[in-house]
Amino acid sequence: MLAMDQGVVEEWLSEFKTLPDSAVSTYAASLKEKGSLVPAIYKVIRENYSDLLEPVCHQLFEFYRSGEPQLQRFTLQFLPELLWSLLSVSAARDPHNSGCIEALLLGIYNLEIVDKDGQSKVLSFTVPSLSKPSVYHEPSAIGSIALTEGALANHGLSRVVYSGPHLQRETFTAQNRFEVLTFLLLCYNGALSYMTCNSLQSLCQFSSRVCICGYPRQQMRRYKGISTRLTVTSEFLVQLITGIHYALCNGEVELGSKALDDVLYRAQLELFPEALLVGNAIRSSLHGAALKSNNKEGARSIQVEITPTSSRISRNAVTSLSIRGHRWKRHDAVDLGSPDELMDISEVDEGVWPGVVGPDMTPPTITISNSITTLNLGAKAMKKCRLGGRNSKDKETSPLTTGRAASENTEHAVKRLTLTSSQSVPKAGALTSLTRTASAVFSRSFEHVAGSNAPPSTNHNTCEAALYSCSLQEEGYLSPAPNHTQRSPSISVHLGSDL
Amino acid sequence: MTARKSGSRLETEIERCRSEAQWDKIPELVRQLSAKLISNDDLGELLQGECKLQTYLKENPIKQGASPRGPRPKLLEVRKHLTAALDRGNLKADYLQEASLLMGKLCYVEGEYRDALGHYSRVTMEEMQLVGAPVYRLSMIAEAYATKGLCLEKVPAASPSLSNKNTGSPSSNRSTTDREQDIITCYEKSGDIALLYLQEAEKALSAGIQNRSPKPGPTAQDQELGYFLETGLQRAHVIHFKNGNLTHGVGRFREILRAVETRTTQNLRMTIARQLAEILLRGMCEQSYWSPVEDPPTVSPLDDPTRQGHTLSKNYSLSRRPRVYSGENLFCPQENTEEALLLLLISESMANRDAVLSRIPEHNNDRIISLQSASVVYDLLTIALGRRGQYEMLSECLERAMKFAFEEFHLWYQLALSLMAAGRSARAVKVLKECIRLKPDDPTIPLLAVKLCIGPLHWLDEGECFAKMVIDMGEKAAEFRAKGYLAIGLVYSLKATDASLRSMQEDYQRKALGAFQRAQSLSPTDHLAAFYLALQLAVSRQIPEALGYVRQALQLQGDDVHSLHLLALLLSAQKHYHDGLNIIEMALSEYPENFNLLYTKVKLESMCRGPEEALLTCKHMLQIWKSFYNLTNPSDSGRGSSLLDRAIADRRQINAMTLPDFSDPETGSVHATSIAASRVEQALSEVASSLQSSAPKHGPLHPWMTLAQIWLHAAEVYISMSKPAEATACTQEASNLFPTSHNVLYMRGQIAELRGNIDEAKRWYEEALSINPTHVKTMQRLGLILHQLQRYSLSEKVLRDAVQVNSTAHDVWNSLGEVLQAQGNAAAATECFLTALELEASSPILPFTIIPRAL
Repeated sequence: MLAMDQGVVEEWLSEFKTLPDSAVSTYAASLKEKGSLVPAIYKVIRENYSDLLEPVCHQLFEFYRSGEPQLQRFTLQFLPELLWSLLSVSAARDPHNSGCIEALLLGIYNLEIVDKDGQSKVLSFTVPSLSKPSVYHEPSAIGSIALTEGALANHGLSRVVYSGPHLQRETFTAQNRFEVLTFLLLCYNGALSYMTCNSLQSLCQFSSRVCICGYPRQQMRRYKGISTRLTVTSEFLVQLITGIHYALCNGEVELGSKALDDVLYRAQLELFPEALLVGNAIRSSLHGAALKSNNKEGARSIQVEITPTSSRISRNAVTSLSIRGHRWKRHDAVDLGSPDELMDISEVDEGVWPGVVGPDMTPPTITISNSITTLNLGAKAMKKCRLGGRNSKDKETSPLTTGRAASENTEHAVKRLTLTSSQSVPKAGALTSLTRTASAVFSRSFEHVAGSNAPPSTNHNTCEAALYSCSLQEEGYLSPAPNHTQRSPSISVHLGSDL
Repeated sequence: MTARKSGSRLETEIERCRSEAQWDKIPELVRQLSAKLISNDDLGELLQGECKLQTYLKENPIKQGASPRGPRPKLLEVRKHLTAALDRGNLKADYLQEASLLMGKLCYVEGEYRDALGHYSRVTMEEMQLVGAPVYRLSMIAEAYATKGLCLEKVPAASPSLSNKNTGSPSSNRSTTDREQDIITCYEKSGDIALLYLQEAEKALSAGIQNRSPKPGPTAQDQELGYFLETGLQRAHVIHFKNGNLTHGVGRFREILRAVETRTTQNLRMTIARQLAEILLRGMCEQSYWSPVEDPPTVSPLDDPTRQGHTLSKNYSLSRRPRVYSGENLFCPQENTEEALLLLLISESMANRDAVLSRIPEHNNDRIISLQSASVVYDLLTIALGRRGQYEMLSECLERAMKFAFEEFHLWYQLALSLMAAGRSARAVKVLKECIRLKPDDPTIPLLAVKLCIGPLHWLDEGECFAKMVIDMGEKAAEFRAKGYLAIGLVYSLKATDASLRSMQEDYQRKALGAFQRAQSLSPTDHLAAFYLALQLAVSRQIPEALGYVRQALQLQGDDVHSLHLLALLLSAQKHYHDGLNIIEMALSEYPENFNLLYTKVKLESMCRGPEEALLTCKHMLQIWKSFYNLTNPSDSGRGSSLLDRAIADRRQINAMTLPDFSDPETGSVHATSIAASRVEQALSEVASSLQSSAPKHGPLHPWMTLAQIWLHAAEVYISMSKPAEATACTQEASNLFPTSHNVLYMRGQIAELRGNIDEAKRWYEEALSINPTHVKTMQRLGLILHQLQRYSLSEKVLRDAVQVNSTAHDVWNSLGEVLQAQGNAAAATECFLTALELEASSPILPFTIIPRAL
């Protein structure tokens, strides 16, 4: 480290100590003019053994604690470098010299997780919904919104917590390390627009190193530092990707795309769906946009051009819009028009079910198909379901059916312990084909596969209380053969494989 | 049409045709008009000029970016009409202004920019009335402003005489700024008036359609903006962004978007909404954001610092502005992600509506266009929602993208990943299958599928298929080859645990070992390969070998929790309980909240330090549980948002919690049946909790399972201390959470035994077995009781079944030996005792399989 750099840093250290409180904001503004200071601090952080590291960390923490946004951002700009320093030291299993960096990072974390009154901070945001008017739209103009399960459940705006509340942390442990670091990156990402090129470059390098150290790609990148693998979490990678995305779009094309590549490489090896998802989306959305590496300092590569306002899609093509008014042939109907039609179809159903299942159909099976259709179809289909439910109850009450069902149930109960998996296969098959037929009658949409994902809670909630006993039986006799769920999607409904 | 119209009716008809751009009808109307009054001739000239100019422009549209091509013979005619109208000066003031504006437009088309500006300076456009003006005139004014802006951009700045302010300031820099400001103001005014015009036109049209039904109304969707209005609407923000002035660009975007949409602006809005979302996601952050109803910050990091000296401000007002969305309770975003999401949802609904469904070759291009515009929106949605961890909502959005997805790998893959991230595993696997079909060479996809099959789904056969796909790729799979072997090793290892026949178990264990060895040799620096090899060796009770590999794993990854746990268990298998406890404590210093480690600690403590210590640990666990999960504020019960919900998505915690929870504390083998039983348990307790209010709230079950597990551990410690009352209390706590858990029932049985109620114990054990028929520990206790009741053959049957399920349970072998001895079968009994003895020598304090196996 050069004596000059050291001088700059020392001056900076002493200057702030003597500063009166009233002068803090002007001081914060003047920091930008000190051109040689920031690189000098970077050097101090990189050279872990420098004597200045401890006072520098201390001062950076004082800056952050001051609450002055500009001073806080001054500290935040070093975050990527500090994180790398922390992780590389802990990977090298060298317990020394990272103490002050750990303290600084934990200090920032503990400051950020509470609000002004010292209460745990909960970061939340509102999920906009097209069904509620906004400054940009009117629900009526959007047209029909698909009545999916989610859309119905979230009719209106919902407030969603995306981070917090977090626990105060005294030390870094292997368990909390990435939780803390992820949160710190979240803070950094919140101030991305204020970060300098240096900081963004350091973020990109940090991302690359964290992801490739110890993997074959390290040789390709010719990075010689530590060569042990660093553990990462998917959430941490997602936060890194968010920062890289900003860097990519704001001048750091080369380093940014390298970093994105490396993070995706690691996400593939670790099989992290979240990081892959966001990384792929960024890569694909930037694929078309030609990113220019601007040599001008701070230049943004966000450009827009005048686009033709007329539709580029020719008028005679069949689109979702043009098909909306189209009426389908009746047996394909999803949208059941009149009550008459409704009756017709339920009659057809009655005809189909026993035919497929055979004479020993028990009430529980009806429960299954009901729950599936409820998920797939809209309000009209729900009406239909209730109809089916009543049918099954009718059957239950008829003495003959009940008696037979009961005797079967005992049979199942007896068989249960001895039943091997192969014996229950035909049962499972029958259920599947039943479900298939049933849902095919309702809709030919490929969504009927979706029914297999129904969580058991929905199953129970949507069914009438009287049917609970039935569903218990199902589970009773299905449980010896859970391996077959893979071949029969309908069964996984009861087993709730998806929780 | 043939009947002559009275004056006012004729005028309204002309106005309507001009507003609706039905230029072909104008000549006929002009003929009727001139037949009425001579003074109408000038108006006739104006109309004919306009009509010819518009028709010309319709036939020869000006392209964006291309300059107009100079004089054309057809335009000469236009000029003649307009000159005639202007020269005679008989026109009313309004019409005179119109004529000048048209003249300006004509000059622009001919490339005479200075002349155009001259015409515009003659009309004081600022004073033209917007209130009460006929619809067509709004369009005319909007076009005039746009044209003026275009001309100002073309004419070099050095001629200040043409600037309508005519300041002639000495500082040329200053005048450039003024000029830029003028240009932008022109465009912004043009854009505002254009929006107003479109709104009014649509209103007039819908009113018209209602009033005169049978008339062949104009084809509404045919209305297009044309070059001038398009420029007016968009050029202002294009200039802002070109100048690096993001704040103003964003402001302009928002103004356009806040105006109530019309049919004609739909496509524009879709584009602008997407572009604004892009800027919000790529160029802004939480701290630099300001909401659409706030004033922008005066100094923003978003603007080009070199130009920050002279901020352009909006300094005009219009007598009438376009209608904006208004009303009570309008949602207004407060955060950049919120606004981006709202904009993207709006664009998505439009992009979705334009999805081209037909697959005939003629529509190929249309399909590509609709796919591209939609996939950009979906990618941005993914970025926005991914940042906020809202994978459930994302998977629903991406599911809507499926109408575009035929043979489109990217969309399928993204859907699969989002389903996976949202925890909808079964569906994710189905979609991944399609991805594999579309891109058979990518080893990541089958590996993702195996991960799900091994983890939440427990679909081992499918998992085996996927893992084999990766292995079959051979060298092509590169770094993923080792991962493929690891995956198949895990599948076999889990199958071995599930297998009910001993020969099958051994077969699978052998296969698993082979696969792990292969993985380890392919990727010697991967700690997971070494770790799973060690675990598999441990399961097959090759303790010294396992110790070797677990040390290797720890060298590669010193703070891996599972390796440390395995090391502790291996030490306990060698009966070095104190060393094991030390390791556990060391691991706990790094993972203080890991319940899995804590369970083992309880066991080891009651072994080495007495039950009191173990009880303290149980208490500590309860405290951790409380601080861990009680933080969640119940009022924020948005979907997928609470800490509890997130706990499910968190892989680390799933690893730490799921498997051990419902594996047995005693036998530990995670059987398919016990998984099924735990699912039944979940379902039942959900029913139960919906019936009785005292039961825990609805929500994810993992935290409650953990809590129940802690209570059961405490109960066990009390049982070992022979304190049935306390044990009952603990069991009751667990039972409140999961009344039908076989673990709870088993514990009740043990308490009953402790109290000497053999019959009651037997009943509890039988109930436990009816829920989970392969619960080995219960089978062992039941076997013992049956033995006590001298029902030897039944006891033998139960114990033999237990040994089938888990052949390494030494206490079962021991009990079996006792039963056989009691029956007089000494030879078989000896064999059983020997087996028990041998197994006991390598038996860990808790089964090795409590360590989760996941990819």
